[in-house]
Amino acid sequence: MSAFDPYAARSTPVRALLFVAAVGAALLFVAPIIWIVSGALRDGDEILRYATPFQLRTVVPESWTIGNLVALVQGPFLRAIVNSLLVATVSVVLGLVINAMAAFAFATMRFRGRNLLFSVVVFSFLIPFEVLAVPLSEAVRAMELDNSYVALIVPGVGHGLVIFMLRQFFLAIPEDLREAAAVDGAGWWTIFRRIYLPLSGPALISAGLLLFLFQWQTYLWPLLITTDRSMDVAPIALARFFGQYDVDYGQLFAGSLVLSLIPAMLLLRFQRNYTESVSRTGVKG
Amino acid sequence: MSDAASGRSRASTLTLFLGPALALLVITRLAPFAVSIKQAFGGDESVGAVLAALWDSPNFIDSVGTTLWFSLLINPFQIALALGLAVVLTQKLPGTGILRTLIFIPVAVPPAVSAIVWGLALRNPDGLVNGVLSAVGFEPQPFLLAPEQALWSIIVIASWIGVGYWMVLLIAGIQDVPRDLLEAGLVDGAGWWRRFWHITVPALRRPLLFVLVADTVANFLLFVPVQLLTRGGPDGSTNLLMHDIYRQAFVYGDRQFAAAEVVVLILLMMVVVGVQMRLLGPEEDL
Repeated sequence: MSAFDPYAARSTPVRALLFVAAVGAALLFVAPIIWIVSGALRDGDEILRYATPFQLRTVVPESWTIGNLVALVQGPFLRAIVNSLLVATVSVVLGLVINAMAAFAFATMRFRGRNLLFSVVVFSFLIPFEVLAVPLSEAVRAMELDNSYVALIVPGVGHGLVIFMLRQFFLAIPEDLREAAAVDGAGWWTIFRRIYLPLSGPALISAGLLLFLFQWQTYLWPLLITTDRSMDVAPIALARFFGQYDVDYGQLFAGSLVLSLIPAMLLLRFQRNYTESVSRTGVKG
Repeated sequence: MSDAASGRSRASTLTLFLGPALALLVITRLAPFAVSIKQAFGGDESVGAVLAALWDSPNFIDSVGTTLWFSLLINPFQIALALGLAVVLTQKLPGTGILRTLIFIPVAVPPAVSAIVWGLALRNPDGLVNGVLSAVGFEPQPFLLAPEQALWSIIVIASWIGVGYWMVLLIAGIQDVPRDLLEAGLVDGAGWWRRFWHITVPALRRPLLFVLVADTVANFLLFVPVQLLTRGGPDGSTNLLMHDIYRQAFVYGDRQFAAAEVVVLILLMMVVVGVQMRLLGPEEDL
């Protein structure tokens, strides 16, 4: 037996069995992804023609083509992708600044009512936004803000969990740093900008990812407040496409691929960062 | 600087830092919550009358029942699967990193995309899943079209999306189990299964509780596959509460009924999560 390892089961047949099970599970999880990728890169008619019975052709196109992607960016879907990117980017930028400022105040300033206000933050992420989307959408329509970027962006900016996460991170920054800067005459804003933000890269990355995914994946909220097709975000445009009588499956799969690729690249790049900070706030408290 | 002036500048600093975020949270989270309660119970009818109307609506009772049944099926299933995968993928098997990534990838896929692609994959008789079934000699199955299979199909779709995420969190938990505890178990001659059951699982209580609570909440809110694929049917078999709220508000236009359902859903979630924390997490730990 080689290196001592207290985690692992030790007998070889058991390990072989576990390995086979793990590979089987991974194949099941990745199969729909492979289907999406191959469907995006083949003629739309081929997708369901070769789906049953399962064969090599199910996932290997007869002829490869990027025609679906080309058709996609020539149609209304391009505008929807741009809308999604715009909404998500603005939400990330505004959300990082605004939530980090609040987290900074909760972590460093002493004031009356701090606990009460902080409980507002905690309460706001214990009640998930999806449940509140229906009542909030009625107010948005009453104010005639439906079909506007403001209405799409605003619910994704203030984020209780992000405030909570950043506050935890800021609390770990030594008070001495702040006091030394204050002695040198630095105000709160300078301390925030010059000391806290530069030290918080990893926390800000995962906060940004959280904000981005919230907006990129959202479906219910835009469904409730947009009726104008030029305001469609990408998931809504894809769903409309899916609901048409005569669906072009090639374009549907190409759209699915584009919509998944962007968050997949971000998540794979920052996966460690992201899951670590979620588990730090949630699991380890 | 006088006390009053410094007090004012303190107050304005605080407002600058806290104001925007708190205002947004109040507008987008607290106010709609308060409005729902008012809309549901603030009319001329008494609270009792509103609740009685809910109780008398067979549709509502069915929807609550479906939601609870769904919750009872999907949460243990997802957590058992995620824990099983997490355990297998912390055994230092070859290719562990790649296998973890492959299982995690669906987390990135937006819910609308997974609902659409799975909707096609589960089509009867020409979808991908029926393709696999027929390749190994089974009859094609109706899946989303049959009342007795539709909810299970939704469970498969939701699990494909979610399990990788819970798995990654549990892997982090397993890797935090103190090595010396496991080594001590090994020295005492405890086999793998005993070490897992008596050392790893107790040490995983916190991450497991977190995953259980977060998973329960996520599944209470499941909406996208229902709205895109089954619209609550067939025969109301997938009429989960989130979808029923949407339908009451936007198809039938009954705002008061929808608001009352929102309040009931929140209460239901709080009760279930409260019970889970009570049973699994001693208070000094939370």
